[in-house]
This record gives sequence, C-alpha cells and structure tokens, in this order.
Amino acid sequence: MSLIGASVPRGDAVAKVTGRAVYGVDVRLPGMVHARLLRSPIPAGRIVTLDVDDAWAVDGVLAVCTADDAPPRRTGLAVYDQRLFADDVVRYEGEPIAAVVAETEAAARRALEAIRLELEPWEPVAGPEQALDPATRLVHPHWAEYEVAPGLEFRRHGNVAAEMISDPGDVDAVFARAPFVVEDEYRANRQYQAYLEPKHAVVDYQGGRYTVYVAHQYPFNVRDRLAQILGVAVSRIRVVCPTIGGGFGAKLDVGLEPYAAVLARKVGRPVRIVNDRLEDLLTCTSREDAIVQIRSAVDEDGRILARELTCLMNCGAYAGDMPFLASIPLHLAGSVYRVGTARVEARVLYTNTAPTGAMRGVGGTYLTFAVERHMDHIAAELGMGRRELRLRNLFRDGDRMLTGQVIDQAGTLRQAFDRMEQVAPWAQVTAPRPLHGVGLAALIWLTNPMPGSATLKLNEDGTLGVVTAATENGSGAVAMGLTQIAAEELGLRPSDVVVLAPDTDAAAYDAGSQGSRTTHVVGAAIRKAAAEVRRRIFDVAAEMLEVSVDDLELVDGTVGVVGDPGSRVPLGEVARTATFTTGPIAATGAYRTPMPAHDPTCATGLLFPSFPTPTFHLHLAEVEVDPVTGRIHVVRYVVVQDVGRAINPTGIRGQIQGGVTQGLGYALFEQLDFDGARYRQRSLETYRLPTAVDVPRVEVELIENADPAGPYGAKGVAEPPVVPVAVAVANAVSDAVGAPFDRLPVTPEDVLAALEERRRRP
Amino acid sequence: MELSLTVNGQPAVVDVPPGTTLLEVLRDELGLTGTKEVCDEGECGACTVIVDGRPLDACIYAAHAADRAEVLTVEGLAAGDELTDLQRAFVEAGSVQCGFCTPGFLVMATHLLETAAELSEEQVRRGLAGNLCRCTGYAQIVDAVLAVGRGA
Ligand code: FES
Ligand code: FES
Repeated sequence: MSLIGASVPRGDAVAKVTGRAVYGVDVRLPGMVHARLLRSPIPAGRIVTLDVDDAWAVDGVLAVCTADDAPPRRTGLAVYDQRLFADDVVRYEGEPIAAVVAETEAAARRALEAIRLELEPWEPVAGPEQALDPATRLVHPHWAEYEVAPGLEFRRHGNVAAEMISDPGDVDAVFARAPFVVEDEYRANRQYQAYLEPKHAVVDYQGGRYTVYVAHQYPFNVRDRLAQILGVAVSRIRVVCPTIGGGFGAKLDVGLEPYAAVLARKVGRPVRIVNDRLEDLLTCTSREDAIVQIRSAVDEDGRILARELTCLMNCGAYAGDMPFLASIPLHLAGSVYRVGTARVEARVLYTNTAPTGAMRGVGGTYLTFAVERHMDHIAAELGMGRRELRLRNLFRDGDRMLTGQVIDQAGTLRQAFDRMEQVAPWAQVTAPRPLHGVGLAALIWLTNPMPGSATLKLNEDGTLGVVTAATENGSGAVAMGLTQIAAEELGLRPSDVVVLAPDTDAAAYDAGSQGSRTTHVVGAAIRKAAAEVRRRIFDVAAEMLEVSVDDLELVDGTVGVVGDPGSRVPLGEVARTATFTTGPIAATGAYRTPMPAHDPTCATGLLFPSFPTPTFHLHLAEVEVDPVTGRIHVVRYVVVQDVGRAINPTGIRGQIQGGVTQGLGYALFEQLDFDGARYRQRSLETYRLPTAVDVPRVEVELIENADPAGPYGAKGVAEPPVVPVAVAVANAVSDAVGAPFDRLPVTPEDVLAALEERRRRP
Repeated sequence: MELSLTVNGQPAVVDVPPGTTLLEVLRDELGLTGTKEVCDEGECGACTVIVDGRPLDACIYAAHAADRAEVLTVEGLAAGDELTDLQRAFVEAGSVQCGFCTPGFLVMATHLLETAAELSEEQVRRGLAGNLCRCTGYAQIVDAVLAVGRGA
C-alpha cells in the first residue's frame, strides 16, 4: 500500500507525548553559565551614562559586555543598519544595551540591576505616517552611509528603509474614463508569533569554533548571520538544532545567539540565554502593522479596469527582512482577480518601535484583507452579488500577475469556487438572517523555492538514515512528509527512516522552514537521492541473486525479483554486502525550484520577484454577532485548498486548522498596538491568543492539482491557511452588521459601535 | 529550605532557596524538563502538573507548598514504554505539532478524564480552555480526548 496519502503518525510524536523530546530550552551543558541582557526601557533616546563597574562586582558574575566590547560592525539582511548593542542611541523599547553572564541566572539578574544606566529620552517616531512626514526626526540620521547587501538594488531615503514601485504609466488614463471608482483604506495592527518556546541559545566556544545549540527554523542562516556579525568564516560556526517549540517566521533570523557567542568566547564556558516572556514579546520581529490604500476603476459589468495600491509597512527600528517583503503588495494587488493595469507602491518605514519581520503569511494577511474587503465594497457600489463579482474577474489558466508571471493553473480558482458551492451553496448560506453574515476570500500563494538537500544512507540493518538540515518546525514536514517520501521511495516502513536533527557540520545547506518549502523542495531532493540509492541496491542485489537489475523490485524492506516473493533478500543483507565489497550505499540529492519568469522592468525595488509553485485557496466564514456584548462567534469555517498532492491528510488538516486559528486570532483577538511607541500588550494575558473555546472545527476540502516538479505532485501547504482568514471574517462581520469593518482586529467594541451607529441612522 | 516530595512515584529531596517555584524544582533540580515554561505567570497551562490530585500551574506554585506532596508530571504518565490511551490517541489523532504545549494538555486532559464519567465536546473544550496551543487550532487535541473519553 502506498504511503503517499496515508495518515501515518509523525515520527517524533512519542518523544513529544512522553516529555522526552529535548527542546532548545532544555539543553544543559557541563559548566554552563547564564546570561541576561540589559534592554532599553524607553523607545528612543540617548545613552548619557552606562556604568557597569558595580555589575562586575556582583557575586558570581563572570563578564559584562557593552557596545565597546562587541564587534563594531553594523549588519543586517538587506540594509546593514544594526549593531549588536545600542551605542549612544537607543531606537526601540527592549533594544539590548549590555549583557552579563554569571554562574546562575539569579546572579545575572542581580548584576543587571547593578548597572547604572541614564538615558535622555527623545520624542519617539511612533508610526509609519509620522515617519513619512518630512518634519519628523530621522530614526537613522546616517542612513545614507549604511551598506546594502551585495546584489540588492532598491531605493531608500530618510525614514524610508526600502521602496518598491511599479508604475506601468497608463493607470491614470484608465481611471479618468472609468464609469466607477471605488476607494478604501485599511489598517492592521501587529501580530506576535507567540510560539510557546521563547527565544534562547546555548553557545560553546572551543578551539576557535562556536557550537550553537538553538531550536531554530533556519540553522544555516544562524551560521551565516553569526559569521557576519562576529566577522568570522562560516566554517567557524556549527549550529545544532534540538526540537523546536514553534517559530512561525520569528525564528528565521538570528536572535540571542550572537550575545551568547560573544560572552562564551569571553568566559570560555558554554553560555545559555533565554528570553522571559515579556522580553520575547517586546522584542520579537512581529508581523508589521500596515496601512493599505486601494482604489479601483470598474465598469458597469463589474469588470476591474485599473487599480492603484499604496502600502505603508512599519519595519520598526531596523529593516531586517522587510525590504524583501515590500514586494508582496505587487504580487497581491493583482492576482486572483484580473485588475487590468495597476500602479503599486510599497514603503517600509523606520520608527522607534521593535523591528518587525516575517510571520507565517507575511504581508499577505493584511493585503488580502485590503483586496477582498475592497471587492465586497465594489460589489456593494455596483449592487452586484459578491460571489458574482469575484467570478467575473477571476483568473483563468495562463493569466498574468502584475509582475508578468504567468499562472498556468490559475483555473484551479474556479474549481475552488465550484467545490465551495457544493459544500456551502452561496444562496443558502447567505439567506438573510439577523446578525448573521458570510465572508469569502480567495488567494494565490507561493511555495518558497530556496535550496535544500538530503543525504540518504542505507544502514547495515536495512533502515535508512536521512541527513538533512531541513527543520521540523512542528508542521510535520520532516516527521511526516519527508519521512513518508523517503520510506515510499525505498519500500520501507516510516519507522525505519531515521532523520538526523539539523547540524550544519553534517548536512549541506538548507534554507529552513519557511514558505511551506520543506516537503516540496527537500522532498524533491530526497527523491533524487533515493533514485541513486535504489540503483546501488539493485546493482548489489543483482549480483547476489544472479539476475538482471531490471527484474528487481523493492518491497517491505526487501529486494527481490518482481513477482517472486521467494527470492527476496532483506535490505540489511544487501547493505552489509555492499558496505564490505563496493562500499556503503549512500547518496545525496539537492533541489531548488527554478524561479518563474517575470518582467524585470515591471518595478523597482522588487527584491522578491515571483511566486514559484503557486497554490490556490478559497475560504468562507460564517459569523453571528451578539448585539449585547458585540462578541463575534465564528459558527462555520470552510477552506478549499489546492495542495498538489496530499502526502499526509491528517497532517494537512492540522496545518489548515492551526493556520486558520492563527488567522482568527489576527481577525478577532490578537494585536500589538501602541501607547506612543510602546506596546500596550505586555503578557499573554493582555496579548490574547485564541483558546479551545474560541475556534470552530474547520471544514477542509482539498484539491489535488499536481505540480510537475513536486514530489508526487506535492506543493507547499502549511503557510497559506493563515492568509485569507482575517478578511473572510471581516467580510462576514461587515455583512452581519451592515457596516464596513476596515481595521484589524475587529473587536466587540467595534461591533457595538457600528450597531449603535446603525440604530441612530437607520 | 529542604523539601521532600514524591514525583511520579519516586521520592525526592531537594534543598532550594525560598521563593523557588515547583516548576524550577522539577526542571532545574530534578531534571524533569518535560514540563514546560512559557509565560511564567499562570496564563498558558504549559507547566500543568497534578499535585495531590489537583491540576495546577507549577510556574506560580511555591515549591514549599509541595512539601510532602505527590506530584505527577508528563514523564509519569506512561508506564515505561507503555503509553496511556490518551498519549496513544494524541499520537494517532495528530494532536501534536511542535509539542511544546503537549505535556500541559496531556496532564490536564488526563485529569479531566479521571474526574468525569463522560465528556461532551463542549466540556472538553471548556476543560482545556486554560491551556494555550499556538500550532494545532485545538481540533485534533479535542478529538484525542473525546476518543478516549467516549471509549471509557
Ligand atoms: S508557564 Fe505556567 S502557566 Fe504558563
Ligand atoms: S503543538 Fe505547538 S503549541 Fe501546541
């Protein structure tokens, strides 16, 4: 029976249910000591006094470190704008100013209290609109002197850390003669990834090499960024990843590793550092807050003729990966629905707030919120059905995105609408009921194309070792997807496949768990390696059995002549024979998705130019609102999703249910917002995550339109379910209340205010 | 301050400063790292353990209050390699993703199943509302508890 499409339990589940799994925060090394950071208590200001002498005197303290002892260079992903410790100026609340390391955590805490810090507070640059105002102070007065990563080209100026502009030149003319113009503005607050395992690191420095133990989504990026920050060769750094307690994008860049590395080198002992929840929340690279303005020119039949979309994205104090994410507005402004021609502008703005960054679904969340709320608005202006308007403008096979990228399988969207119609007929679900509403949202999303590899080795007992730096971030991509693919390729049981945890000394490069890439990219790499392993098995077995390789097959951990069970030899025997004759059976496969073609003249600052391995999605939410409390009850949620090929359906359901739940959090409960430039939410009590009583059981409908390059046709699955949720819900609430909800999250207070407004003006 | 307690059936004696939490005793003194620390303020349930038959958040429970108590942690659920029905159900239903919340959910749900004759979905959800999971969206966790609760 094929393992592809089988809901095999994940390989790491038993370790996780027995409490035996070792997470990053569980790592303890002999002689290990403990570090803590002194962080800025204010969002903006100048360091007047930083006196660490008394901290050195605290019992148990081994070292204290400030900007003076740290590597002098500024580094970053796109713009080299950040030093390890604030020197002279602090730019966000929580920015590290000094570090201490001591025998115990308690001693480290005492030492922090002994540091004398005096700051001259400045008026913070609080939000993207203020940052854009020419009268506003520059967050980085020396921005023009900062280096940019090699090979990247994009405009920067003042508080604008990055700019992406696409203007085909014909947009204004189309607007000028359009029968209808519809215009909106949408706002979304920040979302904290809120992985349960806080950021941490243990670093050991021995013999000129750093060994980093950190549960991370992208171990090779830890290696590369640490090398960049410390100014050493990448071969000086080894990153070993224990089990990870969630990441959702926030554990793709370095975090605490460099601090532990600097201190470990200073004291010659392994150094452990862990964020407490408050520091984690305050300093995490959350999903950015954003403002989206969107305008569409439409004809009488509801055909969109042109569009204009402007997006302000708040990157906080340092640019991080946001210059790359400034490309997303161009991708989402004109996919799913044909929009004629479009001008799209995105600006990433420096402010005195915590740096933001990737979270599952990145800016797709609020951009889809804007695009699909706006579709409902257009439908209302035209007096047209909301589903009907969407169908009229829907992409078909071969339609082009605004980048010029051709989407071959775009007709899958129509399939998704048809499938949705079968399970939730539009006329039926939208039958008028008081305080009940329905929302619809569609999406084209990508599968991250970046490279990966795997080495397969047939062990001498017939089991298979897999050496890869692909990370099991919890999604099951390794513990289900890759395990099942490897087992299927070689006729093994999944339990006979042993995957080594990521270790950058052992495995070749892998681009980490991001953008749903692992099953697709590393699965393809495994298939290549497996073909070679299979060839070696057949060569050796053909000699052992004195038959032709063409007559052989792999079945249940054996190799034998097709149709002759009596001839079968266990793979362990083949492996032993091979090892001591021609050498061990092992092979490496590597893969990177080729980037789809796009028009390079379509935009400037487009650092993320196309959407490889696209997938297709349609979400429907049904809500009821309580007129007394304003509470929004999501009574039904349906997802139709194209996955290429479902490797493990239970795993996929889990990803969709979990992604939708994060989306419901973003829609209804979760937000980091500001009092000036400081977060109001300062714990998991005030930062409200969805609980078991808040979320419905998501109905899942899978479409399997195979990707020709994907393993067994599989495409990326786990990232996109979060993306359309907020707008499906916001559209449903707007429908239920009969008033537009154009800000995320949609809160009970917003609902009550809208109901009140409606009562006053019937 | 010397404390003696029974953890997962094993007697243990520890000497810790006043102000130490039960979670610190378990993780740092006894090396039982299965119980997790997430919020350190009683908001998430990741550190749930059973003390003398009562589920509580070990991160805000003073160690000295556990003197002479019987403590059950996730490590004490299985008998050797023999998983409990609930642990098996978690494995099979897809209830585990990153697994960082799993110990807290298992301990809490074990308690729910022991104290109620039969559980409706609503009761399971309410019973687990103090435990946060960021990965699963809860459905498959609820499925596992119901599978065992109905089987009982
Ligand atoms: S860590 Fe104890 S309740 Fe969160
Ligand atoms: S499985 Fe990751 S938090 Fe629950």
